[in-house]
Amino acid sequence: MNEKLQKIREDGLAAVASAKNEIELQEIKVSFLGKQGGVTELLKELPKMDPSLRPEMGKKINEVKNELSAAVESRREEIKLKASEIPEDFDITLPGIAPLSGGKHPIKQMRDDLNDAFRSMGFEIFEEDEITSELYAFDKLNFPPNHPARESMDTYWIEGHDKGEANEKLCLRPHLTGGSVRYLQTHKAPYRFVYPGRVYRNETTDARHERAFYQYEALIVDKEFTFASGKVMIQSILSKVFGREVPVRMRAGFFPFVEPGFEIDMGCLVCGGKGCSVCKNVGWIEVMPGGTPHPNVLRSAGLDPDEYTGFYVNIGLDRLVMMRYGVDDVRLFNSADLRFLSQFH
Amino acid sequence: MKLSLNWIKDYVNIPDSMDLSKFAYELTMSTVEVEGAHDIKKSFENIVVGEILEVNPHPNADKLRVCRVDTGDDAPHDIVCGGSNLAVGMKVIVAAPGAWVRWHGEGEPVEIKNAKLRGVASYGMICASTEVGLADLFPLGEDHEIVDLSAFDVKAGENVATALGLDDIILEIDNKSMTNRPDLWGHYGMAREIAALYDLELKKIEPYSVPAGIDDFKIVIDDEDKCPRYIGVKLEGLAVKESPFELRARLWKVGLRPINALVDVTNYVMMAVGQPTHAFDSDMIQDHICVRRAAEGEQLELLNGKKLSLRSDDLVIADAKEAVALAGVMGGVKDSILPTTQNVILEVANFESTGIRRTALRYDNRTDASTRYEKAIDPERCDLALSLSMELFAALYPEMKVVAYADNYPKKLTPAEIDVSYDWLDRRLGKHLTQDEISHKLGLLGFSVEFNGDNMHVKVPSWRSTGDVSIKADIMEEVARMYGYENFEASSITTSFSGAINQLDKSLVRNIEEYLAYRCGMQEVLTYPWMKEDFVKAILQSTDGILTLPTPPSPEEKYIRSSTLPNLCQAVVKNERYYNEFAIFEEAQVADAEMVESGYDATEKLPRQRRKIGCAFAEKTNKLEDITLFFRRVKGIFEQMPRYTHMESFRFEKAEKPVWADNVAWLNIFVGETMVGSLGLLSKKASMACGIKNLAVILAEIDTELLVPFKSRTNGFKRLPEYPVNDYDISMLLDVNVTWEQIKSSVLSKKRELLRGVDFVDEYRGKQIPEGQKSVTIRLALGADDKTLTSEEIEACAAAVIKTLKKDLGAEVRGK
Repeated sequence: MNEKLQKIREDGLAAVASAKNEIELQEIKVSFLGKQGGVTELLKELPKMDPSLRPEMGKKINEVKNELSAAVESRREEIKLKASEIPEDFDITLPGIAPLSGGKHPIKQMRDDLNDAFRSMGFEIFEEDEITSELYAFDKLNFPPNHPARESMDTYWIEGHDKGEANEKLCLRPHLTGGSVRYLQTHKAPYRFVYPGRVYRNETTDARHERAFYQYEALIVDKEFTFASGKVMIQSILSKVFGREVPVRMRAGFFPFVEPGFEIDMGCLVCGGKGCSVCKNVGWIEVMPGGTPHPNVLRSAGLDPDEYTGFYVNIGLDRLVMMRYGVDDVRLFNSADLRFLSQFH
Repeated sequence: MKLSLNWIKDYVNIPDSMDLSKFAYELTMSTVEVEGAHDIKKSFENIVVGEILEVNPHPNADKLRVCRVDTGDDAPHDIVCGGSNLAVGMKVIVAAPGAWVRWHGEGEPVEIKNAKLRGVASYGMICASTEVGLADLFPLGEDHEIVDLSAFDVKAGENVATALGLDDIILEIDNKSMTNRPDLWGHYGMAREIAALYDLELKKIEPYSVPAGIDDFKIVIDDEDKCPRYIGVKLEGLAVKESPFELRARLWKVGLRPINALVDVTNYVMMAVGQPTHAFDSDMIQDHICVRRAAEGEQLELLNGKKLSLRSDDLVIADAKEAVALAGVMGGVKDSILPTTQNVILEVANFESTGIRRTALRYDNRTDASTRYEKAIDPERCDLALSLSMELFAALYPEMKVVAYADNYPKKLTPAEIDVSYDWLDRRLGKHLTQDEISHKLGLLGFSVEFNGDNMHVKVPSWRSTGDVSIKADIMEEVARMYGYENFEASSITTSFSGAINQLDKSLVRNIEEYLAYRCGMQEVLTYPWMKEDFVKAILQSTDGILTLPTPPSPEEKYIRSSTLPNLCQAVVKNERYYNEFAIFEEAQVADAEMVESGYDATEKLPRQRRKIGCAFAEKTNKLEDITLFFRRVKGIFEQMPRYTHMESFRFEKAEKPVWADNVAWLNIFVGETMVGSLGLLSKKASMACGIKNLAVILAEIDTELLVPFKSRTNGFKRLPEYPVNDYDISMLLDVNVTWEQIKSSVLSKKRELLRGVDFVDEYRGKQIPEGQKSVTIRLALGADDKTLTSEEIEACAAAVIKTLKKDLGAEVRGK
């Protein structure tokens, strides 16, 4: 009988330990401790035993009964802890549900990145009116009176304000630089500011040309500033925006409002400078003109060009954003097409 | 502009060891942008000279022949060809397998492969000139004619480019990068620059020596400012004939079409030294040459057939009778080179740049000549052009006679002289260069420098004196680029720190943009600053007070943006095809016709311009209650905006209905007493006029310049309640016209110690509610600072509120 009890104990503990869920556990409990369970059957046999041995055996059986009961309860707790309310066939691979899906325009994102970068270098942000007079669009910028850019084929003049003196002729600003002069006039040197904004040119549009584009101008005017410092500035800004070292080169270029003027190129990020279709196989992309503000521009701001110098760049954001994402048609930016814009969260 | 490297090498001895890509890079860095260096031989790969040995009929085609051709390989090849001029012994151009040709001279180039033509194998093809890009050198005669090279000393198997002397490197220069350098618009000028950059010797072009004892040619210059110099030479004993192949090949390489020897010489000279010249048939010129302003309405027919009615500020070349050419732009058809021309007047002249540009633009007639004159050519260059022209004419026409000559040069060029402080140059360069270094670098470019103490007196060469170099910053630039921009060491930027940048207005607009995009799920768009007429009429309903463009991008887009909303509605229509629920916004400047002082220049007045943020929300919603919910969701965006973007809060009130809005669902937005914007449901009428099909659209626009940013975050802090706050819902029947504002102010009208706040829960109208009434549920928050409320206290407070509501608004409570 003792052997039988020991066997029931071992089988019972093993069965309890292997129970996978509460239902199984309940069945095991019944098969050992239930009315017809092994332990109960043994207890039923107890009266047939030698009375002298009964108390001893009874005690042992009760001990096993208690031990098994405790094992069942502790296993029940274990199973509860592991259990889930969720059916096992819940498809965990179903797609997540997206949060609100808005976003800023990719060019404005670039503008904000640049604003942050320049602000970290102590630059102020400046904004000005989009309709300006010829006085500020051209005259104060050292554009000769008959410069081609003044023609209506390049500039959008305003009806009823397209004749007369320079201060009476109005246009949609063809560049930002005229607005910069307004800043110079109303602030005290030294200056350090950026001027983001849209500009407009009367052009035929195609995948690479737009009538409205976003420019970003940065201007430093100070008593000492060499163009070698300008190169460092450009390099640090571009590296911050693109998140890696961007090679920069400055080469001879000509713009009326700077002297000397530069074309500033950045190493093509698509091919790493080896040459590809994006950079027309030269490994460099023209990103901005720049240079030292022309003495006449400084003079129109009331500064002595012998005393002051500086550095100016004008970054074409459309081009830079095209580069950032590999966009191949500049017209998409002004399309308001959500299929395009919603790609840039 | 295309430049031939071999042509440049006529004037400067560029070492053959020079690496081409390095050369192109250095030229780009210091002078002009080299967009490409094209090796002509590369486009003639596998295109070789062939000699026809046999011409046999094609077994399956009447018009085709099977030629046995020696292409320099061990054995001849059979090539199927349909050429009409095939003959035994003829030397032809063979495009062997692997060559790229343009089929019949049209379309994209295709690669030649071994192929069967009508069942006969053909080793490539025998080419017509158009198929290998040589149409200008070998004009296509009759149809199906192939190029006959028999007259050339060429051997079968030679590469065609090499055999014909076309082998060259063509540099493609970006014209934009040399608009300020008139001296570079020709091979000689570029050679001069290269000689300076590499310290090489430039070949001199000796001036023409006028033969003694020839007649003076009469040239009258009426307007010296417009024509500072005019050289005329009368030549006799010439004829119209084809130029030698070498001359034609040179023109072809740089993209010009050879015409005849007389015209080719003038084009050659222009490409060589950048100075346009013109040849008149002297038999057609009456008496003498006069350079004058055109008479108003004077007629002139140009070489290209354009008939012009001239204006008095056009400059013309005239004879004793009438205008014979549009100065600096194009010759007249009557007096230029004619098929019968034997005697010529050669014009080598200088014209003022802006006049030429204006005239060329006015008649939409820009030419290679006018493009060069526009850049302001230095009058001294006439000497180079004259010398080269005379040399070429003499070589082509040994029997030619020079019969008359004159050089009328009333307005001599004064070379620029500039004083520069050596110390200034030093500081600006950020790099110390010795006086010798500076003198040497500038000297290479033709500048002369005299040092006198701190002063450098710089004399500018004539070819840089027409505006290009005029101030000391120009001198600095010349020194810097000769030294090489890449050779200046990077130097750090010094800054004087004067406090943090704190621009509240700029930050506010950016906060709003980010709030709309990232919290409200809207997409930012950019549109043009002009509006489409349909949308202006649909949304703004009137074009009064809107500025317009005289030269708009299209006739229906002449209106300058006076509101952000028309373009946003246009964007809604555009996106309706793809989406049935979306929300967009745009931050933009708008303008109207009212003129205000700019505040920058006393004389400057500008249209009033303001920055706005416009929003358009679109949803496919048909049920009334969905539209009102939609409206409330949008209103919520604006209610919460001030809180999230840190500015003075908004108040909503009906004051002035926007013209595009639905009659009921609209509100104006106020900050204090200032109206800063509006929101509203787009009226059905406006929506239909826009062409919106199925979407309900809510528009909003705020003037960001009227918003008042907080200087810092102004949120307070509310102590957390120590004792429970209880919600108590009240549902009541009210007249449909009672508003939430009325309910709220009624609830809050009396000071009640236990009332912590009141919220709207919902509103219901329907079956169980009597006509003219609605059921509104509100939620009171009740609590105390020092104890937990008993249900009696709660009920008592609620009952008091209900009593007030009943008294104020006639509310009839439906139960808790």
